[in-house]
Amino acid sequence: MYTIEVHNLTKRFGSFTAVNNISFQVKRGEIFGFLGANGAGKTTAMKMMCGLLLPTSGTARIAGYDLKTESKQIKKEIGYMSQRFSLYDDLTIKENMTLFGTIYKVPKQELNERIEGHLTELNLMKHKDQLVSSIPLGWKQKLAFSTALLHHPKIVFLDEPTSGVDPIVRREFWSLIYKAAAQGVTIFITTHYMDEASYCERISIMAEGDLKLIGTPTELKIQMGVNTIDELFTHFVNR
Amino acid sequence: MRIILMLIKKEFLQVFRNRLLISILIVAPLVQFLIFPFTADYEIKHISIAFWDQDHSTLSREIIEHFRHSSHFIDCGFIDSEAEKEEALLHDHVDFILQFPPHFEKQMVRGEESQIAITANAINSVKAGIGSDYIKNVLTGFFESKEEGTPPSIKKMTSISINHIHWYNEKMNYQNIMVPGILVILVTLIGSYVTALNIVREKEIGTIEQINVTPILKWQFLVGKMIPFWILGMLEFIVGLILMVFFFGISIQGSTTTLLGATAIYLLVMLGLGFFISFVSKNQLQAMFIVFFLFVIYVLLSGLFTPTEGMPEWAKWINFANPMSFYMDIIKLVILKGAGLREIASQVLILSGMAVGINIAALLSYSDKIN
Repeated sequence: MYTIEVHNLTKRFGSFTAVNNISFQVKRGEIFGFLGANGAGKTTAMKMMCGLLLPTSGTARIAGYDLKTESKQIKKEIGYMSQRFSLYDDLTIKENMTLFGTIYKVPKQELNERIEGHLTELNLMKHKDQLVSSIPLGWKQKLAFSTALLHHPKIVFLDEPTSGVDPIVRREFWSLIYKAAAQGVTIFITTHYMDEASYCERISIMAEGDLKLIGTPTELKIQMGVNTIDELFTHFVNR
Repeated sequence: MRIILMLIKKEFLQVFRNRLLISILIVAPLVQFLIFPFTADYEIKHISIAFWDQDHSTLSREIIEHFRHSSHFIDCGFIDSEAEKEEALLHDHVDFILQFPPHFEKQMVRGEESQIAITANAINSVKAGIGSDYIKNVLTGFFESKEEGTPPSIKKMTSISINHIHWYNEKMNYQNIMVPGILVILVTLIGSYVTALNIVREKEIGTIEQINVTPILKWQFLVGKMIPFWILGMLEFIVGLILMVFFFGISIQGSTTTLLGATAIYLLVMLGLGFFISFVSKNQLQAMFIVFFLFVIYVLLSGLFTPTEGMPEWAKWINFANPMSFYMDIIKLVILKGAGLREIASQVLILSGMAVGINIAALLSYSDKIN
């Protein structure tokens, strides 16, 4: 059973093709790594899947709904964490969570319990009334991830969630990802870190708008005759 | 409903944490009210005048004395030649020169025609115009006070006099016009400027993307933005109204409720305009420029500084698209004339139409997708 089915998705900006006719499927509960160099079209593809960007052509079914005709339903079922931190800087940790939880119509009592659960898990309980502008980047990223999970989405889209954070926070972040995946949430993640790519169950590599490869990290290494994902990546990016 | 309440709460939390915005909201009306009404004033108080008496008669001297005793004029003494006259005008030493020709008195007594020449330094046309009026008034007053013994020709001349009575603003107090005008400017700025910048800022820092990825409905987002800024605008208006009544002593002739109701509608127009601008502009700079551009046109055409009646036809047509001119009308009519709802009905209707139109346009221009 696939929860993401992408068929011939294309996005052109004028004469420039950012995403060129890509097709792939992602299984429910899978951690799917979406790799590619800067400008390969990862963010554009992700934004189309989240309903933030209109595709030029092609279709997709996200969480069982059609991207073109049922985008409202899709939005209820997905969580999204943008490349750029985009929670409100001038609200506190708790205010941000309450705001987004409310927009997703999580019942009040239930929402408070979930927020408390997340904050305890993140060890941020005693900082819950701190303005987000004053907390370190690592906390911000974990907060953004937890906020994206508040309404119990079926799929979470993470756009370079760990760029710029230190290795310890990255490890903590990945344990959060595993935990969510274990609860059945599908994780769709873009990253630049090749070690992170090997944490994924399956990965794909995009270059210049094309989807070059897709498979488990081990399969792909054997298929291309390389030892590390790093080599795999450079192979496509340099071509 | 819960979502909208949450959005309103969020907006207020942000507004009250934004020190710059808060100080603008508090300081702007105070500064505008404390400076503008005192400086934007068409009344001319200090008119300097020089005399060129070629007659040296009792009559000419009496007239000159009369001017010297008037509080509107500053006496700049006498001049004695054409060269001096030019010099004085050229270097802006005087605004007016009053010239009595030779044999002035003799001619007047004989009932012949004689002329006093008034030369105005018209570099400031307003001063020249109003000053001439003052001078004519003083001359008329002089001859009237001399009723007996006044030659018939002068009597004839003074028998026609123009009396100005300014209705609804009897003392020609410009504050009575400027202060309500500033109220209009305040409400306009809060409504359009602050909202436009607020939303474009969300675009710039990317928070709007996080909102757009949620299942929130467009109108919910708009209403959630609209209500807080509407409340702020109304509060700002009420503060302005209180300042107007208690600090400037301008009482509201009409009904305060009517005034508040009209403001509520006008604010909706301005908020919608702010939304529309924020959705079509890419960054705060663009939004600021568009608002500023519209604002200048609105103010100039609104009738605050110059009467709309004197504008060319095409400007009047443009004014039909200028919500500020309708609101300015309402404010002046209700505050100064005591107009009731019936007298301002057409303006209110037009503003309501504009409010609906611009907000629909805003809703349509708000796309949760980037193209």
